[in-house]
Amino acid sequence: MKSESKIDPRILEEILKFSRNVIDAPKLVSAPDEISMEVTPHDIVQEIDKTRLLHYRSLTEKQHKTPLLISYALINRYHILDIQQEKSWVRNLLLQGFDVYMLDWGSPTSMDKYLDFDDYVNGYLDSSVEFIKNESSSEKISLQGYCTGATIATAYITLHPESVKNYVATAPVIDGWRDTTVISNLARHMDVDKMVETIGNMPPEFMYYCFSVLKPFEQGIEKYVNFFKNIDNKKFVDSFIRVEKWLGDTPPIPGELFKQWIKDIYQDNLLIQNKMYVGGSHIDLKKINMPMFTQVAVGDHLLSPECSMPLHYAVGSEDKTLRMYPTGHVGMIASSLSQTKVLPELGKWLAERS
Amino acid sequence: MEPQTPKDTSDYYKHLSLFWTDIIHLMSSKPQALASVGPMRAFASNAKKISTELIEINESLMGFNQFVTEYYKQLAETWNVAQKKVNLKVPDVPHDVEQIDSLKRVWIDIFDNDFTELFDSVKFGENYGKLVSKELELTKHWNNISNVILQSANLPSKEEIDEIYKELHSLKKRVTKLEIELKKVNKK
Repeated sequence: MKSESKIDPRILEEILKFSRNVIDAPKLVSAPDEISMEVTPHDIVQEIDKTRLLHYRSLTEKQHKTPLLISYALINRYHILDIQQEKSWVRNLLLQGFDVYMLDWGSPTSMDKYLDFDDYVNGYLDSSVEFIKNESSSEKISLQGYCTGATIATAYITLHPESVKNYVATAPVIDGWRDTTVISNLARHMDVDKMVETIGNMPPEFMYYCFSVLKPFEQGIEKYVNFFKNIDNKKFVDSFIRVEKWLGDTPPIPGELFKQWIKDIYQDNLLIQNKMYVGGSHIDLKKINMPMFTQVAVGDHLLSPECSMPLHYAVGSEDKTLRMYPTGHVGMIASSLSQTKVLPELGKWLAERS
Repeated sequence: MEPQTPKDTSDYYKHLSLFWTDIIHLMSSKPQALASVGPMRAFASNAKKISTELIEINESLMGFNQFVTEYYKQLAETWNVAQKKVNLKVPDVPHDVEQIDSLKRVWIDIFDNDFTELFDSVKFGENYGKLVSKELELTKHWNNISNVILQSANLPSKEEIDEIYKELHSLKKRVTKLEIELKKVNKK
């Protein structure tokens, strides 16, 4: 009896093509270690402990008067904001005539385990703001905070409102109880005291694990299948390798900072309730009264939009704008949408106030 | 007294170990210790500390095994349920490229949804929290054993290094505050 099964010959073709792509991949693509993540030229203008303040070189003749400092997140490195020329958040802002600084938190070591919120808010961030004010002869600067960097920036502006003219909160982590992501579920059940007492800094492997359980099959399988399928597409693979390198480059988080972070934001949710203290000072969101621009990604799977949006309603500012974008956490800052929609809107808003 | 439960067994062996290490320590002739200033100088008390830690590691390991089993059980159950859903949605073996692509899409969507639901659940969060906690206890015992070895080699323990880090951190803060004060005075 003859077999009735009909297998599409294209399946075999696809399998053969995919296998060829896997074999050819090393010839066509650079290894992540061979790629430099520094895209837009900059100078390191201040270094304190492990942190560095980067000042990007201007790309326009005329610049807006008020400089902009970006407070990047504590997870992964700042490179995602300057991942490649055509998707660079920093470069786009420079081309719009802004004077851009970036605070690189660096990679803490065991000796930094006692660094806490106070050190980050009233130490590193404040020193950077003061440096920029002196350097640019400005009385105030514009401040942008991204993700966890926005939580630090938010605490900062409540304590030092006199130094900040405009505040941009991009996917800020604010209301931990409203965050419905896997991260918040894990954070809520964590014995963070025991963790910090035993291992000190939060190890990068643990952070990497927490993020790997978000969309595990899409991120763990489909993503790599697409990579090998599109191995001939130079633009695609270049972007892929850069983002992968960025994803794998997670510095440890200082123990004390992590402890306060998990307890105050995710477990007790003190920030949005105006009950949080940093370095003995009360963080009252109503004290934020400068113009504020909040950017939220509707498809954010790392941080629920509901966790970010309450900031817009909690502050005392009269001049405030909330923008929602149909993209994800990273898509909001490093995608074609960010270049064509998110950044032009931010630039217009900021230019009118700079 | 005969041990009745695993806890009794553990306590029994802990007591047995402490008893003999203490007795051997007391019975051992002191002149040999007198000549020793190297790593063997406190061999008996170090051995006692290490054996206590090893016995306690065993207790933590039992707890760890319980939660790690539950962890993999939850993953396996979710996998089985998700696979059944995929089988119901895609009953036939795919025969062409388009069918394979849609099977892959369905498989990834169902698995991502089901696993995200699991990771978001209280039962997963609680078990995972306990699993991490037990893992930390194991780490703590390992740290304690390392400290005994470090001290026998005249090296600072983790706690002693931590004290220095803490002192450094506090000194840095004080220096920064003084610098700010100094700047204010100079401005005046």
